[in-house]
Parts: sequence; C-alpha cells; structure tokens
Amino acid sequence: MSLIELKNVSRTFGKGDERVVAVDNVSFAIDEGEVLCLVGESGCGKSTTGKIVAGLLEPTRGQVLFDGQDIAKMDKESFRRYRHSVQIIHQDPYASLNPTQTVRQMITRPLLRHHKARSNEEAEKRAVELLEIVDLTPAQDFMNKYPHQLSGGQRQRVSVARALTVEPRFIVADEAVSMVDVSIRVSLLNMLSRLQDEFNVTFLFITHDLALAKYFAWEGRISVMYLGRIVEDGPTRRVVMDPRHPYTQALLAAVPEADPELARRKRRIELRSADIPSLLDLPSGCTFNPRCPYFVAGVCDGEVPPLVAIPEGGRVACPIRKDVSIQLIEETPAAPAA
Amino acid sequence: MSNESQQVVLKHEAGSGTPLTLRNVSVVYKTRKGDVRAVRDVSLDLRAGESIALIGESGSGKTTLGLSIVRLLVKSAQVTHGEIIYRRNGKEIDVLGLSKKELREFRWKECSMVFQSALNAFNPVIRIWDQMRDTAQSHGWKDKKAIRQRSLELLKFVQLDAERVIDAYPHELSGGMRQRVLIALSLLLDPQVLILDEPTTALDILTQRTIIDLLRKLKEEQHFTMIFISHDLAIAAELADRIATMYAGRVVEVGSADDIFYRPRHPYTLGLIRAVPKVVGDFQELFSIPGSPPDLINMPSGCKFHPRCPYATDKCRQEEPDLVTVGPEHMAACWHWQEVEKELQSKPLHSIS
Repeated sequence: MSLIELKNVSRTFGKGDERVVAVDNVSFAIDEGEVLCLVGESGCGKSTTGKIVAGLLEPTRGQVLFDGQDIAKMDKESFRRYRHSVQIIHQDPYASLNPTQTVRQMITRPLLRHHKARSNEEAEKRAVELLEIVDLTPAQDFMNKYPHQLSGGQRQRVSVARALTVEPRFIVADEAVSMVDVSIRVSLLNMLSRLQDEFNVTFLFITHDLALAKYFAWEGRISVMYLGRIVEDGPTRRVVMDPRHPYTQALLAAVPEADPELARRKRRIELRSADIPSLLDLPSGCTFNPRCPYFVAGVCDGEVPPLVAIPEGGRVACPIRKDVSIQLIEETPAAPAA
Repeated sequence: MSNESQQVVLKHEAGSGTPLTLRNVSVVYKTRKGDVRAVRDVSLDLRAGESIALIGESGSGKTTLGLSIVRLLVKSAQVTHGEIIYRRNGKEIDVLGLSKKELREFRWKECSMVFQSALNAFNPVIRIWDQMRDTAQSHGWKDKKAIRQRSLELLKFVQLDAERVIDAYPHELSGGMRQRVLIALSLLLDPQVLILDEPTTALDILTQRTIIDLLRKLKEEQHFTMIFISHDLAIAAELADRIATMYAGRVVEVGSADDIFYRPRHPYTLGLIRAVPKVVGDFQELFSIPGSPPDLINMPSGCKFHPRCPYATDKCRQEEPDLVTVGPEHMAACWHWQEVEKELQSKPLHSIS
C-alpha cells in the first residue's frame, strides 16, 4: 500500500471570471521510503500540490489518502497523527524561522508540546541529537543562536531539524535548497538523502531545477507538471535519459549546462510560441499545444490527452509522441574543445 | 520568433583593443560592525568583443565590482584603491574621476548595466515608451520619431511584439518580457560595454533559454563586449569566452571557459565545478565544498579559502597567494595549483562520457 496517494485531485482558486485551476486532476502514489520529484516552471501547480499533500490546503475535488485512509474522512485523532507524519520544508529559510526564537526554543518547544520529550532535560538531549543529524555540530554552538546569526544553509538545516522533532514519515521539500549557495547545496541534498536511507523517510521533492531533481531522485521517480497537470512521469533515469512528452523534451533541452562543450552540443528545440498561456484562459485539449513543435490540429486541441503508460516505465500524456525517443545531444561537437 | 525580427540590424560597431581595464581595484563598505572589504585588489582587462563571466557565490564581490564600473555603488561604499580605465576611439577615460555630468554620459552611452531584478528596474507608473524616451532625451536625443523608431527596432530585436509592448506598463509584462525590455533599453544608446548582473536568475527555464539565446546573438552577431555576473556556472558555460572566479573579493582564477571548466587550477573553482549537476547524461557524483563563505569583516589569514580547502598547508594560512600564470592566458592564485593539476590528470573532468 502506498503511503500517500492522490486520486484525481483538483484545486481551484478564486471564482467567476477569475477562477483559476491551479491543480487539475492530478493522481499519483508514493510508496514508503520512496522519493518523488515534482518538477515544473512557476505556476505549474507544484507547490499547491505539495501543500495539498501536507494537508495545508484542501483539494477542491478528489481524494488524498494517507496509509490508505481518506484524510477528509479521518477522525480527529487520525488526522492529528497524519499531520505529524507529514512535514513540509519551505523554500525560504529567512521567512520560515521565527526571528525571536533561539534554535533551542525552536526545537525543544515542539518536542515538549507534542510529548516527544517528557522533561526539559530530555528535550535538550533530543535537540542535540537532531542538530547532529542535520550536521550542525557541535550542537551546543548552535543552541543559543538566533536565525540572523546563521547562514542560509544553516537555517535550512534548522528547518529540517525542526521538522524532524515530530518524527515524520513523510517530508515535502518545496524548493528546499534553491536559495542556498552552490557549494553548500550538495551537502544539504546529501543530508536529506541520508534521512531517507537511515530513517526511511519518504520524500516529495518539489523543484524547478531539473538537474537537482535528477541528482536527488536518481533512484526515485520524477513527475513533470505543466499548467496544473502532470504531463509525464516515470523512473528518473527514463524521464531524464529518454523523455517523451514534448514539454519534458523542451525543458531538458533548454536547461543551460555547466559545461561549455555540452552547451555547444545540446540540441535546440524551437517552440512555436514563447508565451505561457494564462491560467485564466487555458487552451483546449493539451495545454502545451500552442507551443508544441509537434502540434496536430484536431488531436491536440480536442480532448485533454490522458496519461498513458509506456513500456519503458511511467506515463506520458501525449498520444502523438509517446513512443518516439529523441537525442538531446548532437553526435558531432559543433566546435571541438581546444 | 518571426523571421522579420531577426533581420533587424543594430547600428552597433564592434570596438577594438581593450575597452575596459581594472587596475588593483578595491572597494570597502563602511558598516557599524567594521569595514567590509567586498572587492580586494582586482585587476582585469576586458577585450573588445569578448564576453567575460564573473562567477562566485553570494558575497564574493562580483556585483560590487560590476557596480563600481558604472559608479553605482551605495554611499557607504568607496573605491579605496585602484583605477578603472575606459577606452573608445583612442580616447581614455578615468571612470573614477568622472564628474556627475560626465557620468551621465558614460552610463548608457558607453557602458550600461542590466540588473538582476527586472521588475524593480522600471518605474511602475509609466509606460515602456516613456522609459525609453526619457532615457534617450536625457542623453540629448531630440527627435521623438527617431527615438520611437529605434525603440521599436530594439524591442523587435529582443523578439517582443514591439507595437504592443512599447505602450504597456511594466506590470502588464511577464518576467521574461521585462528582462528583454531591459536588455533593449540597455542597448538604446549603443553602449560599447554591457554589464549583466544575473540576467536570467529569476526566470523560468524556457524563458531563460530565450534570454540566453538572445544574449548569444548579441555576442556573436553584434560583437558587444559583455560582462556577465552570475552565481550560475551554466550561464558562464553558455555565454562566456573567458571566466574569472571570485572568492572573498578577489579574482582567484581567470582563463578561457574551456580552461576553467576542464583544466581549473584553483581548488575553489574545482570545488564549484564538482558541486554542479548536469542535466543530460548519466548520473554523476557531486561534492560539496565544506564550511561556508568567509566573514568579510573578519577574514581568515593568508589565503581566504584555506579553511575550506583540501590542499591547505601552513603556507596558505600565513601568506595570501597572488595570481600566477598557470597556462597560456590562464592565471590562478593558489600555492598548490600544481597539485590540483596532478589530481586532475588522474581524475579528469569529463565533458560527455
């Protein structure tokens, strides 16, 4: 049984002419200990989906199942347990930590509040352990610090330690390393991976950065969202090495590579339009159709294409291109490196 | 992206020689806690038609350096040492000695800067056309018709629907469109040097690609001399001919893009490259740089990178190395660059496996 399952979840905001469908009929399941990466550009609904999974937003339609139980139908006690089991780590560690609390307060208070520690001494001991898990060592150096005394990377580690106070089984990491400097990003990601290995924490990792998604979820899965819908998902290796949906292909081809030769050899995919449609006025059928280089009139602008399983793994919402692989790197280098 | 837009020809003439020379430039911010030495002793030559990328993490001094070239530093900052020399048509200008009036001429006409946050760069209550007209008129253009003509041309060049965009307010445009308008605006007075501070950072992937391709076009077809300031190595790999790595206010390595990416000699540059994942291809292991960037008020002794460096020895803790030649057109400031070279011989940085 999956730990978390979304069944046909939709979420709209606003009403009347201003009604926006942020998440449209999204279904996926995540098994215990698994990593699922949700990637897409801003406005694609990935954060909204993350909030729905974490129970911070109610879906307008559809069901969220936790341990097989519909969270909308849970009694108070089960819902409380679910909310403890699922924690969210936000993007901006400058905004998500209380500036007037010390690290000690931020970590010992939830421990005491949720009866994870019976006394101050026990809470203190546990807080030290948690700080060590997130590599803030020696922990005593950090206990009395306020957020403004910490660097961005250290703050994000405190957010993780705070999330761990309630012993979650599931963590939603929403752009959790995006605001951290390059040199420190990898160690944060490795720390999160360790939580997965050592404590069997399940992850929903939300990012706009495909390279990070690939690194973090190499053993897991990736779901690509576009304007509220999942357009492609599957094992990370397959999605990255053999993308099928034209949008996924366009994204992978567009990402700048930190390697001059790769940058020269990467295939260019020309889109028919550079404009992202407004969520207030979405095109009919496949929402990528006005930009898609493989557009077929009458097919793409008709029905919304369903996600269809492909033999190589995962699902693709494109009846035209789901069985066609493309090369993302040109065979011959444009200009050989000196 | 119609064909028509690509036929617009700018009147830009490529310069020659060395339009910009920085000599031992140091910048200090006065703060209550003490002096922040944001840029220390930076020397750099910018050749005509080349694009150079300044890379480094936040606090490395790259933006401060860019701002000091166009003299836009905040009041608390001061260029304490050094010279910035600008050349055009055989004339030399001492940028640091320019008067207020001369500065107005210098900015936009000679050297313009595109800032990171494209939304904040516009006045929200006036239309794009008025922003462009204001800029042109305050630099002595009188002919409104000609200004409009030129503005439309530039907006077309950056692949915008010029007729619509020119009468729009900033909030009516998306982030990518605003960034393109800003690039068009920076070209309005045909400057010789363009400084772009994190030109694509806040943008979505597909929009980012349009901007990168546009900048590449400016570079390859119009031969603008450009300085890119970015924390993102990928932007440097895509657009730079040469790259300068900055750390704790200094240039610690400078060389061609290929040298920096495949034959780095400074442990910090190597660390950055090993920390950045690639999208295409097989899985690759990444390594982070231990520790965190230095406190610029209380900097470590000797080489500022030594607390984070795997090669550090006593010498590094005592003496700060200068840039030395490590290859043709390639310099690095490290006592142990030969060890880095040796390590890379056994474990080369592969491009594509």
